[in-house]
Amino acid sequence: MAMALVNLDFAEELKAYGVDTALECFNCGTCAAICPLLFEHFPRKMIRYAHVGAREKILEQAQDLWRCLHCGLCTRTCPRQAGPGELILGLRRFVLAHARRA
Amino acid sequence: MFNPKDIIDLLAANVRQTRNPFGVTPSRFNTWWREAGAFTRRPGDALLFTGLMYQAIPYINAAARVLERLEGSLGADYLRFGRFLPASLRGMGLSVLASGAEKKKFNGILHSICRVLHKSGVGFFYHPEMDFYSGILLYDLGDEEGFVEHARFVAKNLKLHGVEKIITVDPHTTYALKELYPKYMGVSFEVNPYFTFIPGNGDRPGNGGPPVAVHDPCFYGRYLELSEGPRRVLRSLGQKYVEVRNCGEFTSCCGGPAESVSPALNREILARRAAELKAAEAPVVTFCPICLANLLKAGLPVEDLATVVGRCLADEK
Repeated sequence: MAMALVNLDFAEELKAYGVDTALECFNCGTCAAICPLLFEHFPRKMIRYAHVGAREKILEQAQDLWRCLHCGLCTRTCPRQAGPGELILGLRRFVLAHARRA
Repeated sequence: MFNPKDIIDLLAANVRQTRNPFGVTPSRFNTWWREAGAFTRRPGDALLFTGLMYQAIPYINAAARVLERLEGSLGADYLRFGRFLPASLRGMGLSVLASGAEKKKFNGILHSICRVLHKSGVGFFYHPEMDFYSGILLYDLGDEEGFVEHARFVAKNLKLHGVEKIITVDPHTTYALKELYPKYMGVSFEVNPYFTFIPGNGDRPGNGGPPVAVHDPCFYGRYLELSEGPRRVLRSLGQKYVEVRNCGEFTSCCGGPAESVSPALNREILARRAAELKAAEAPVVTFCPICLANLLKAGLPVEDLATVVGRCLADEK
C-alpha cells in the first residue's frame, strides 16, 4: 500500500472551503453504510483522508468526489453532526480551486 | 465518468455568457408564459420565480443523450475543448436536439401551477426579465466562485425590481433562494414553494381515483423539510396516496444529480429508486422537475404534483 503524508493542519486549510466540522467525525462509517453509491467506503474514506490531512490522496482520487449525489442522507444520519455531505462538497471546492490554479 | 472539471468549466462558461447552464438564450427557452395569459403586478404580490428548471428539462435531456453516448468513449476527452466554443453555438446544438413534445409537457406543468395559484386566490405576478436560473448546479458541483458571481447578478436584479416575496416551483431553486442567497449574498427574500399556498380545508374522503405513490425529492425531504406540504394538499383534495420505502426525510435520491458527470451512474441509482417505487404498485407523483424527468426515463408512470392538483381542482367544478 502506498504511503501518504499526513498533515494535521489540513482541517484548518479546509475552512477556506466552507468545511468547519472535519474533525468532528469519529470514523464510525454510518455515512458509508447509508450512502446510495455503495462505492468503496464512500464517503468515509475521503473523510478519513481529510481527517489526517492526506492531501495528495484526495487529489489522486479527486474524481470520486463527484460521484456524490449531494442527497444529504449521510449528513442527516451522522451521529456526530460532522456534515459528511458538506465535507465532500468542501473537498470538491478544494480540488477545483487546486485544478484551476495549476 | 467524465472529468468533472471539463463539465464544470463548460457549464460555468455557459452561465457566464447566457445566465443559464445550457448556453441557450433565455428568450428562446423561457416561453411558457406567452400562453399563460396576462400578469399584472399589484402591490404586495409575490413574484413567481421558476428558476427556469421546468423549462430546462428538454435541454437537460438532450444534453444527457449526447453525454450518454460519449461517456467512456475516446470522444469524452474532447469535451474539455467545448468551453472554447461560443455559448450560442453550444446552445444552438441543444436547441436543435431538445424535443418539442417535452417542451410542451414541461411548460404545461408551469401552466398548471399558475392555474392552481389563481384558483387558490394567491396574489402573484410573473415577468420573464426577473426570472433567472438560480446557479444551483454550479454550487452542487463545487464551483462556489461561479455560483456566487451568478447569484449576485440574480439577487441584484430582484432587488432592483423591488421583489420581496417569491413563489418557487422546484426544490433546487427554493433551496438556493431560501438558504444559499442569504448565506452568500446577505440578501433575503420571503421564499415559499407554490404548494404551501394551496389552502388545506382539512382532509377529504377519497375522490374515487386510484392512490398515488409519493416520491420526495431530496431537497424538499431533507434539506428543506417540506415533505408534509404536498401530502397535506393531496389529502385536502381527497387524493389517496401511499408511502414508499424510503420517504420524507429519508427519501432515496433518484440519481439525477449525477447525470451531468456520469449518465451511467445516474442510471444505476435510478434503477434502485425505480424498484422501490414500483413496489408500491401505484402511479408516482413527485414535485421536482429533475426527479420527474429522471423517473420518466425509468419508464415509470409518473406525474408532477401540479398536474395532479390541477386535475383534481378541475374535476371539482
